[in-house]
Amino acid sequence: MFDWSQIFFNSFVTGSLYLIAAVGLTLTYGLSKFPNFAHAEFMALGAYAGYFVSEQLGLGLPLAFVFAFLAAGTIGLLCYRGIFQPLAKRGATIIHLMVASIALGFILRHSVGAATDWDPLYFTATWSAFDVGPIRVTGLWIWLIVTALTLSLVMHFLMIKTKIGKAIRATASNPELALASGINVDRIILITWFIGAGLAAIAGVFRGADTQIWPMTGWDMILPVFAVTILGGIGNFYGAIAAAFIIGLAENIGVVALASLGLSTTYRIGIAFVILIITLIVKPQGLAMFFRRA
Amino acid sequence: MGPLLYSLDIIVYIGIFGIVCLSLNLEYGFAGLANFGKVAFFLTGAYTYAILSQLGVPFYVCIIVGVLISAIVGLLVSFPALRLRADYLAIAVLAFGEILRLIVKSEDFAGGDWGMTVSPIFPYTTSSLIYRLENIGLIFIFLAICFIVVQLLANSPYGRAMRAIREDEVAAEALGKDRARFKAQAFMLGSAMAGLAGGLYAQYLGYVVPGMFMPMVTFTVWIMVLLGGPANNWGVLLGAALVEIFDRGTNIVKDYIALPVDPSDLQYILFGALIIFILLYRPQGLLKESMIRTKTLRSAHDARRSIKNKGS
Repeated sequence: MFDWSQIFFNSFVTGSLYLIAAVGLTLTYGLSKFPNFAHAEFMALGAYAGYFVSEQLGLGLPLAFVFAFLAAGTIGLLCYRGIFQPLAKRGATIIHLMVASIALGFILRHSVGAATDWDPLYFTATWSAFDVGPIRVTGLWIWLIVTALTLSLVMHFLMIKTKIGKAIRATASNPELALASGINVDRIILITWFIGAGLAAIAGVFRGADTQIWPMTGWDMILPVFAVTILGGIGNFYGAIAAAFIIGLAENIGVVALASLGLSTTYRIGIAFVILIITLIVKPQGLAMFFRRA
Repeated sequence: MGPLLYSLDIIVYIGIFGIVCLSLNLEYGFAGLANFGKVAFFLTGAYTYAILSQLGVPFYVCIIVGVLISAIVGLLVSFPALRLRADYLAIAVLAFGEILRLIVKSEDFAGGDWGMTVSPIFPYTTSSLIYRLENIGLIFIFLAICFIVVQLLANSPYGRAMRAIREDEVAAEALGKDRARFKAQAFMLGSAMAGLAGGLYAQYLGYVVPGMFMPMVTFTVWIMVLLGGPANNWGVLLGAALVEIFDRGTNIVKDYIALPVDPSDLQYILFGALIIFILLYRPQGLLKESMIRTKTLRSAHDARRSIKNKGS
């Protein structure tokens, strides 16, 4: 028999990681109206920035998260300012913007690759597993889930209560009207890119601490993260929460199903791809219909 | 490898990727479809060829079946995918390509991680010079056929309808052009050509492995098309040649100059920067979209010129 409690817990872990990574993508996608493939590289850069602070400066993981957030956020902001904003101002099509984001991804990924010779790096902090009832957990996983929950609450508060959150929602749903209402749309978009890239970095550090860090850290995760974004409804933060856990569940149940069907578990990553394609074909607006207020 | 063999190898690659570029040009340049999963159809052609050739099927059957299967896969993908917005289409087809790669990587019939050997069309002779020349001949015949097909198509009424749909779907539909049908046909033909290139690629190299079909291949082709000039068939061939020569050039340079960074990383960084530069400052590519050329237009043009000359 399968250990369902473990499967559910693992789904929460996977879902939390995807959620943290996807929040930034879904917000920038909703605001700038194009899928930023370089989001993957913000995760990888964040992981490296975190490694630098935690291992090379020896300042520990908490500071690593802060620094990763700020560093990747700044890079995200600069990338938007330097590449995507000028492109959009010149009337680039969505296809051009997508290609530009992939090209930016090449530049970042291979700069990192050149700097590190593609050798994987590991955080030295080890997380020994312990049992909570029937479930085997590690401290890192608990932190990951706590972070995702906190992030959800903070983002909820930010989106509903604060001026910035309201401005983000207004800009996403109607930029012209937002501009006419006196919202500084350009500034809102820049702030969103900063937060989005920063959150991607947090996900990157978690991923790096859980497995390893190498230049493909982000790209390995980007399609599941896209699946979360699309399933949740583009720009829809609440949808993303639901979608992250659905995909987490699907992956973890899927692995068990694959194993019992005698198929290779390398298909695990494909589960998210299949969900992604089915969502796009059946209901491209994703779960957004359940979360209209967002 | 001597310099001559190396140059011939580059020419083979230019031919193969030229075919893929033409197929992407048909889809993106003329029909406006963002196919970010080009490698899926390239893979289909290559693996069909590989699997059939292992069963001892003659090469022309392998190529033809590869092209047909790629076309069918393209058509099947196009049914659900073409209703989608450009960004959704791009992501969906990209994911489809990754799924195909996962399948050939995991399943034994496709050789799994280690891939499989493919019997070449031309027997390996003692001279790899002749082997390459034979391949160049064959591949460039196919390239020429593809070029002529796409060129004729682009200038035909059919191609003009396609461009109209690219520019304004609603307007074209209002004039009675069935956009879904045009797009599906462009996608199918494009996939067939990519499958052809895949088969040629597999037999030239003599093996296939899943690692040859990373999403990177798709983006290389995109770089070639955007650099050369979408909707211009000469342009995309120029793009294919430039990117391929640059790609190999940096590999040669590294033997003579000690670079501080790994040349393959440097290549990607430069490609990335190049494509952003092009999108910013010359989005139409090196060569602009070719004018539509038809007999009627030409005779109208001549007539106007002769009237002008008489008047002066």
